[in-house]
Parts: sequence; structure tokens; C-alpha cells
Amino acid sequence: MSSSDTPSFQYPLSWRILDRAESVAGLWPGRWSSLTGYLFLVPALLLVFVLVIGLVYIFDYSLHELDLSTYRLKDAFSLVNYQAALKSVTYRIVVLRSLGASAIVTLITMVLAFPYAYVMVRTRSSFTRKFLLISLFLPFFIGQVVRAYGWLIILGKEGLLNTFITSLGLPPVKLIYNYPAVILGLVQYMLPFAVLLLAPAVTSISEDIELASEGLGANWVQTFRHVVLPLARPGLIGAGVVVFTLTLTDFAMPEILGGGTTDFIANSIYDGFFQISNPGLGAALSMILVTLGSVIVTVVFFLAGTGTLVSTEGTP
Amino acid sequence: MTSPLPVVELRDVSKSFGNVRAVKNVSFTLPRGSVLTILGPSGCGKTTLLRMIAGFDAPTSGEIFIQGQPVSSVPPYQRSIGMVFQKLALFPHMTAAENIAYPLKMRRYDPATIPGRVERYLQIVQLSGMGTRRIHELSGGQQQRVAIARALSFSPDLLLLDEPLSALDKKLREEMQLEFRRIQQELAVTTINVTHDQREALVMSDEIIVMSDGAVQQAADPVRLYREPSSRFVASFIGLTSLLTGRATKIQAMDVAIQVGNMVLKGRTADETIQNGAWVECALRAEQVRIFPAGKGFAEFDNALEGVVDQQIFEGDRMVYQVRCPALGDAPIFVFDHDPAHHQFHQKDDSVRIGWNAQDLLVYACSDA
Repeated sequence: MSSSDTPSFQYPLSWRILDRAESVAGLWPGRWSSLTGYLFLVPALLLVFVLVIGLVYIFDYSLHELDLSTYRLKDAFSLVNYQAALKSVTYRIVVLRSLGASAIVTLITMVLAFPYAYVMVRTRSSFTRKFLLISLFLPFFIGQVVRAYGWLIILGKEGLLNTFITSLGLPPVKLIYNYPAVILGLVQYMLPFAVLLLAPAVTSISEDIELASEGLGANWVQTFRHVVLPLARPGLIGAGVVVFTLTLTDFAMPEILGGGTTDFIANSIYDGFFQISNPGLGAALSMILVTLGSVIVTVVFFLAGTGTLVSTEGTP
Repeated sequence: MTSPLPVVELRDVSKSFGNVRAVKNVSFTLPRGSVLTILGPSGCGKTTLLRMIAGFDAPTSGEIFIQGQPVSSVPPYQRSIGMVFQKLALFPHMTAAENIAYPLKMRRYDPATIPGRVERYLQIVQLSGMGTRRIHELSGGQQQRVAIARALSFSPDLLLLDEPLSALDKKLREEMQLEFRRIQQELAVTTINVTHDQREALVMSDEIIVMSDGAVQQAADPVRLYREPSSRFVASFIGLTSLLTGRATKIQAMDVAIQVGNMVLKGRTADETIQNGAWVECALRAEQVRIFPAGKGFAEFDNALEGVVDQQIFEGDRMVYQVRCPALGDAPIFVFDHDPAHHQFHQKDDSVRIGWNAQDLLVYACSDA
């Protein structure tokens, strides 16, 4: 046969590569095929496992007192670090401040994110949708620290806002290194996460359901309250939990925009490890943070029902 | 003497999306208690028309009147219209009863009367005792019933059906068609139904409007629409219809002779503008054609032809044949054979004779002439 007889049709390269890969995968014994699916879980499980090992070590640190003569942790087990952390008024304020900020940031973010997600999903104008999507993703490329510095440029003592205020002949205002500045920075940081998590929730509510509600006699406020909000609940809770935990464990915003005046738990942990070189205390604070976050998330999911994590009912 | 006010009246309603005219100058009136079906292929503008009546879209021009009042500036929630959506759009977070109570609550009915009303409508749709079920705990047919009850519980002036049966399997769909008809007659509610299912249109309606390309093609009651389709489009959209193109050779009042291929066929037309020698289109319903083995006589038919079976399909209660007639230039003719007595099926490539009467060959002026 001459070479001109070879068929002109060839599988695309991607098919051929996958065929090779499949022939290698064919070596996997058939009677283990029911395990194949679990195999793909292994890398993720390994990562989680490493995290657990780290957590075990930190837990171990937290149970040893710092020996001030050697600056090493003593061998003997003790609860001294926990006592110190829980009795200290400073740390109690830090914990309450973190919790309070998480609650406030979550609330504000959800109120701002929901209309954003709603319009982004529902708009018929592709320009509007693209504009909203780009505005959403742009901050991701910038990073938290740079964004915090951006706020310094705007809100700082000689920042844009104060330049404007003083140009009007008014005295400069202290806009940074306080609690509201940290909240502001955090809300801006959390907004894209919340929108991204809420968008699928809005998408899953069919437009017909909203129209049906209107046709049945509900104006848009009633439709929002009785139909949209209840149907978006899983998304709202999921997004709320993410925003809450991210805020609770945040480090950069309170560090940069708080300027040491409004430390969160993560800042105290950092100080424990690296400023006062007491890994035992830092570890104890870490364990308190992990416990606090876990308990809150568990309670929320318990109250909201399992349907929040994995949808169990379809929308007809 | 004035006739009673129509429940719905459309005057010259048009709707454009950008440069696309989705609905073109549609007018009709609908008297109280009757059922109108808007029938047409997908994309013909029928759903747009329904959405305008419901108030979800505004007409670009023209006006819609409900109970004599223009409604263009009335939002949907202030219109008295119940609608059953294609995908039902039931509220999944509520029970069946809560779904039915929703319009009553939104329309501020006396809370004391709501449970009684909900119970009554559950009964009407034969779902008594199922009120506490969640929507996803109900079967497809039961969900249909909840959607009907929800659309009717507040006694709307008008019921709109946006192809709610299209997702059901055939048996359930036919059952629900009769069920709709029963409920509609029981409550005497004025209804507009939108569908692409010709059978559903014939079964459920007092009046049918056939639409294509945004314009009304014909408005008539089901029998007239089926027997006297006003155009080739309507004839081919409803029923199984063979289409032939030919030239009119002799015209005498409604009787036309048409040259198709080598044959002269006898047909009938309602169009007085057809001239001798003009190109015409003919439509022939499959049930009006008889089929016989080759060589058997059938002198009683006005048109009789020799042909060959191209395809035969067994549908249980009937055979559907596709017959190729060389004399007609091989145009396929569809034939239904219901005769249970002769039990003789023609096979593919069998020679057969087919015949039909002049009155069943409907002749139209060529639409693209």
C-alpha cells in the first residue's frame, strides 16, 4: 500500500493523548475499579491531613509553659497558656473585637453583595454583566495588602480625602487606625467572595418563579421577602459563613488599617509567636480561634439544616 | 342590544425586540367563559403575546383591554390573571396548600376565609388531603394540579396557560387536557392557552388562533380550522398533510383543475383570485386518501393514481403509508389506513392505487409567487 492510502482523518491531539493515558490507566486491575473514584480524593485528603498534623503540633505547643530562663517550652504539660489567654482582659477584648467585626462585616457585606449578585445574574445587558464581572475580579488580582495600602492612600492623614477636606479650610480628620477603617477595608475585601458565592444561589431561582409571584399579586418587595430570600437562603448562609470565618481569622486589614490599635486574634497570635517569642501562648490563642470558628460554623449549619451544604431538593 | 363585554380584547398589538418584530398587529376578543388556544410553532410569538397579556412585557404598540379597561400601565400584581407556567414555577419552599394560599395572602383576603378556599380548590383539582405535602414530594401530574389550583384560587378574570403540559408524557398529557377542560367548565373561567400541540388545541378550545412569524394566520373554531384551513401553512400545521405544487388549468367557481406532474387533479378552493395558469399549492389530509392493492377498482373517487409504497409505519390503531406517485413527479402522498377488516398491509415497494375526492384537495394561491 502506498502512503497516499493512509486515511486523511486523524484523531485530534487531545484525544490521542487521552487515549494513551487511558491505556496506562487500563493497567489498574478491574476488580478495584469501584475504588477508582476514591483515588481522586487522595491528594485533597493528604493536604487536609498535613493541616491536621500541624494542628496537633500547635495543640502540643499550647500545653507547655514557656521557660523564661531558656526561652524554650518546658517539657511538663500545663494549662498555663490557656489560663493566661482567657484571664487577660486584653485578649478578651481582642476576641470580642474580632467576633464583633465578623458579625458587622458579614451583615454589611451580605446587604451589599446580594443586589450586586442579583443584578449581575438577572441583567439582560451583556455590557452590564461584563462590567460587573470585571469589577468583581479586578480586586482579586491586586491582593489584600496592596488594597489595604490603597485605603491608606485615600484615607491617610495626608491622603486624598483629607487633602480635599483641608482644601475646604476644615481641619484634617483621622480616618485610619480605627475600627471603622478596618471594617471598611474588610467589607471591600469580602465583597467579591460574597458575590461569587451568592451568584449561583440567585441563578438557581428561576425567573418564572419571581414572575409567578408577581402574577399572583405580590409586588417586588413581597416577592423578595416571600420567594427570593427564602430560596436564596442556602447561598446566603454559605456566603455568610465564608465571610464570617475569613473576617474572624483576618490579619492584614487590622494590621495595616488598624495600625496596632485594633488587633484581631490573628494579630495576637502573630505577636505571641514572633514579638514576645512565646509559641505556647500563640498556640493557645490559635487553638481558641480554631475552636471558636468551628463551634460557630457547626452551630450555623446545624440550625440551617444540611440542605445548606448540599442541596437535597430540586427547584421544579 | 349590546353584546356582553369581552373579558379580553387585543387591538393591533405589536411587540418588537430591537429589530425583530415578535408579534405583529394581533387583534382578537374573547367572550366570558370561553377557551382560546394560540397555536403555533416555537418562536411564532405566542409566548410573547401571553406575557404581554399577563403584564410581564409591554406592547410596543396597540392596547390590551381586560374587562374593558386598558391595562398597559397596570403592573402584573394588580391584574386579575392566573397563570400556569411552562415549568409550573411552583414555590419549592412551600407546601401545596401554602402555594394555593399565596395569592390569597398577597391579595389580602380575610385570613379566616383562606383555609376554606384552599381546601375547596384542593378538592377541585382532586388533591384533597395532600395540602401538607411539599412540592418535591408530589408527582408531575400532582404538581400540575397544584399549579392550576394556585392560578385559580383567587377567582381571576382570566386564566393563562403557557404550555404547561408540554413536559408531560403522552398519556398523562392527554389525561390532564381533559382535566383542564373539566375544571375550566366547572368554574367557567375564561382561558387563553398557548401550545404547539395541535391535538391539545383541538381538544381543549372553543376557538383557535394559529400564529406564525408573529402574525395571526387564521382564527376559527376547531372544526372549521381543521376542515377549512385558510392557508397552506395552517393546513400543513394541523393534521398529517401532503403538499403538492401545480398549475391551475381550469377554474369553475370553487372547482379547480390542477396540473401536477403529468396528472390533472380535481380540487377545491375558497380563493376567488386564482387565475387560470397560476401556480398553486395543494394540501391533502392523510385521512381523506384511500389505499388499495394495485389493479383493484375505485371508480368512485375524483382523483385516482397508481403509486409505490415508500414507507409504512404501524401506529396500532392505523397504518401510515407514504406513497410515491410517478405521475405526480414522485411527490410523497401520506395515507392513513384505519380499515380494521381487510388486515392486509401493503409492504414497502408494493404497487398500490390511491384515491381521494375533489373536495379534499385544498387549493391555495402560491404564497411565494
